[in-house]
Amino acid sequence: MSSRPGRSGLSSYAGRRIATGSGTICFVLVFNFMLFRLLPGDPISLYTRGRNMDRSQLRALRHELNLPLGTQFLHYVRNPFSSTIDSIQFSRPVWSVIGDSVWPTLVLLSTSTVLSAVIGIAIGIKGGWKRGSTFDRVSTGITLTLYAMPEFWLGMVLLILFSTGLGFFPGIFPSGGTITPGLDPWSLDGVLDQAWHLALPAATLTLAYLAEYSLVMRSSLVDELSQDYLTTARAKGLMDRFVRRRHAVPNALLPTITLVFLNIGFVVSGAITVETVFSWPGLGLLSYQAIRGPDIPLLQAIFLLFSLSVVVFNVLADVVVATVDPRVRT
Amino acid sequence: MRGRRVLVAVAAAASLALAALPGAALTSARATTSTTFTVGLTQDVDSLNPFTGIASAAYEIYQLQYETLTDYAQKDFSTTPGLAESWDTSADGLTWTYHLKAGLTWSDGVPLTAKDVAYTFNRVRAGKYEQTNYGNYVSGLTSVVATDDQTVVMKVKKPTPIMLHLYVYILPEHIWKAIDEKKVKSFANEPVAGVSVGSGPYLVTEHKKGQFIRLKANPAYFRGKPAVDELVFRVFQNQDSLAQALRRGEIDFADNLGTNVFSSLKDAPGVTSVSATYSGFDEIAFNTGAALDDGTPIGDGHPALKDPKLRQALAYAIDTKALVDKVFGGHGTPGTSVIPSIYKALHYDPGASAYTFDPAKANAMLDAAGYAKGADGIRRMPGNGKPLAFRLFGRSSSQTSQQSVQFVAGWLQDVGIKMTTKIISEDSLTEIIGQGKFDLFEWGWVVEPDPNYQLSTFTCASRSYKDAGSIYANLSDSFFCDKSYDALFAQQAQQIDPAQRAETVKAMQKILYEQTPYLVTCYYDDLEAYRSDRFTGLLPQPEPDGALLYQYGTASYRSLRPVSAASHSAGTGTGGKKSSAGPASTSRGSSSSTGMVIGSVAAGGLVLAGLFVVLRRRRVSDHDVE
Repeated sequence: MSSRPGRSGLSSYAGRRIATGSGTICFVLVFNFMLFRLLPGDPISLYTRGRNMDRSQLRALRHELNLPLGTQFLHYVRNPFSSTIDSIQFSRPVWSVIGDSVWPTLVLLSTSTVLSAVIGIAIGIKGGWKRGSTFDRVSTGITLTLYAMPEFWLGMVLLILFSTGLGFFPGIFPSGGTITPGLDPWSLDGVLDQAWHLALPAATLTLAYLAEYSLVMRSSLVDELSQDYLTTARAKGLMDRFVRRRHAVPNALLPTITLVFLNIGFVVSGAITVETVFSWPGLGLLSYQAIRGPDIPLLQAIFLLFSLSVVVFNVLADVVVATVDPRVRT
Repeated sequence: MRGRRVLVAVAAAASLALAALPGAALTSARATTSTTFTVGLTQDVDSLNPFTGIASAAYEIYQLQYETLTDYAQKDFSTTPGLAESWDTSADGLTWTYHLKAGLTWSDGVPLTAKDVAYTFNRVRAGKYEQTNYGNYVSGLTSVVATDDQTVVMKVKKPTPIMLHLYVYILPEHIWKAIDEKKVKSFANEPVAGVSVGSGPYLVTEHKKGQFIRLKANPAYFRGKPAVDELVFRVFQNQDSLAQALRRGEIDFADNLGTNVFSSLKDAPGVTSVSATYSGFDEIAFNTGAALDDGTPIGDGHPALKDPKLRQALAYAIDTKALVDKVFGGHGTPGTSVIPSIYKALHYDPGASAYTFDPAKANAMLDAAGYAKGADGIRRMPGNGKPLAFRLFGRSSSQTSQQSVQFVAGWLQDVGIKMTTKIISEDSLTEIIGQGKFDLFEWGWVVEPDPNYQLSTFTCASRSYKDAGSIYANLSDSFFCDKSYDALFAQQAQQIDPAQRAETVKAMQKILYEQTPYLVTCYYDDLEAYRSDRFTGLLPQPEPDGALLYQYGTASYRSLRPVSAASHSAGTGTGGKKSSAGPASTSRGSSSSTGMVIGSVAAGGLVLAGLFVVLRRRRVSDHDVE
């Protein structure tokens, strides 16, 4: 097995992808650094707005900002990996602030990614297999409409219909947050309560991203339909459902795999608008708060985390696709 | 085949679980018998450490948990006893003696004595970090000593009225002495063993960052345990869901609402909406001649704006009444002086000399001052003939700011001034103002009951300053500088007698009103709404129509009580989501758990329906082929 040329091709391909990824991360690091130094305004006067501080205190705070650029860069590069630098807004180490927000975001985004991928792919398969059927036209229309809606608006509509209740729509879901105050999150009630809070935001994101999966799945399946091997499979007398399940779908899944991995990369960065509508205390919301501060140590760490996750999952997507499809290893 | 069977098994298990679990939820919700008042926030509490937080919600938590020496009266902001039941001053005003109430204790049973007071003040005096929030209260102090368990003696360099309202939260020494100056910066002050130690009416029991803070009534509170057992402050990230939560009864109080959201709540059942007078104002500020604190001119402000006559004429050209009606939806009153009318004792009312909207008068004044119109209809400066072309800045983060700027530019154009409006971020505007690179801008202030800070923003010394070659903004944003004003400022800072000081403060506002570095456009209201079907007893500060919460002091929380079951059913007959039996929060508990049951069942139903469709689809498509 070890001498198979395909394997060594894969590892050298993976090596190249990882090298490119590292390069991207270095670029992102430098770019982030410059970006925050181009921001308008005096971060210290923003931070001290509404506080009574004399000039010597302000001078001490400005000390860091007035250091030579090279020194600042060294501090900056060390910052993401240091646990001692505090967020300006929260007066706690940046990683502890980020740590609090990671879990809610992972729960929300992974639930909705899994749901929208599974449902979207199912819709895509059915629609693509019977291209032009009523189901195909209706499902494409609906998913595209949902995709075209601004997420926050869709969230707001769901909130009004199913939280406040309107007409015959029952107001049965909470209007925001992750848990009812006072419940132990690890008790049975707590877990149920959290699922109850998760329903609307997860539904919003699932609906909004259905089209991404269903359309990619549908079009790649449609591409496969004209392939000779399917004609062969049918000519062998295989049942249609086996042709679809065993031959067409596995091949057509390739672009969807890429898409899933790319989206997992974005899972970490949260969903700023939906998290805002449902007051979901995740990373998307945190990054928004950090920008509004502006809380530069926090922003730098968040940006680094986002960039890392996107780059890492891009590389991973490339490698996974290359594993299952040797054609891309060039 | 096997795959499908597993799927069916999973579906069955899931539906069983969903059917069984909500019952458990219901039982637990029913067990709740205490009353809970939930306040919706649109801004998170940044820190529970009173040396760290700056958010207004954080200060609400601090004052609920920690008492101060003296308080502001709920009725009219006058000074009332806090932990100190009385205080006296030496004849020269340099020695202040505070007498604490007898028998005070911390919530953990440890006696609260003068030593805690001295500890807190000395800690702020000694600590660099501690001074960031409370520096102005201790800057004049030369010593703070506890002479016995109930007496604190403070000495000051100069007599100062700040000694009447030292708004420093008194902290328990036995807890805070373990937090040294290194640790205090990152000390979160989260509850230990389920509850924090404090002296106020409520104690923090749980804090979930970004989500909520729970507080329970302090049984050892010296004014008596409050009627409502628990307070919850819940964070919402946008106003619309805040309003929905109030409608649903998930929260009982919301404030700082936008005009649209406020009017949407007007006829919500069980909700009372209140347009409360507030201590904030909006202004159009003029660049009265940007300069450093030493008088060196900076920036590129239009020279004509240095002329008070021109600024007065512009004040007549701006229709503040229309701004209140059109921009603030009528929720406010046209502004006059820089101490809002909510502070009755200090507010200067110009009376008949007020700037009333009168473009003809504005034109006449401009003509008389020599600003004649050119051929293009734009006025020119006398002497050098420079056209009156002004830049007016507004803030992108504020809808009202953007609208105000458009109106004001239009009115000023009508009297022959060329206006350019620019909408930028507050960060950028802060920078531009500090450098003096503007002509006019729109912004606002929220004014404290003590006028010192607000008045200091117009002193010569508050103008920008130079440090290591760079220019930095200070408090002044109009660059106003007037010797007689500065003299009065120094005078009021030493007047201990409230009535005498009020006279000085009014004289200062008169100077500002006549010189017009600001045109105060609006004293805007705070738009609040609460569940009057569940709670009653909220008190406005000041009487009769001030804010119901977020006050100076905790009087409103102390007077708050649930509407009794009997008067509730006789009430306005509100939404069907609550059961009519039981006191306020019990009904909410069951309503939310009813929602939860239905929600879970609906979710379970959806999952089952989805599975059914998937399975059926397969069968159908299999069938199709055969």
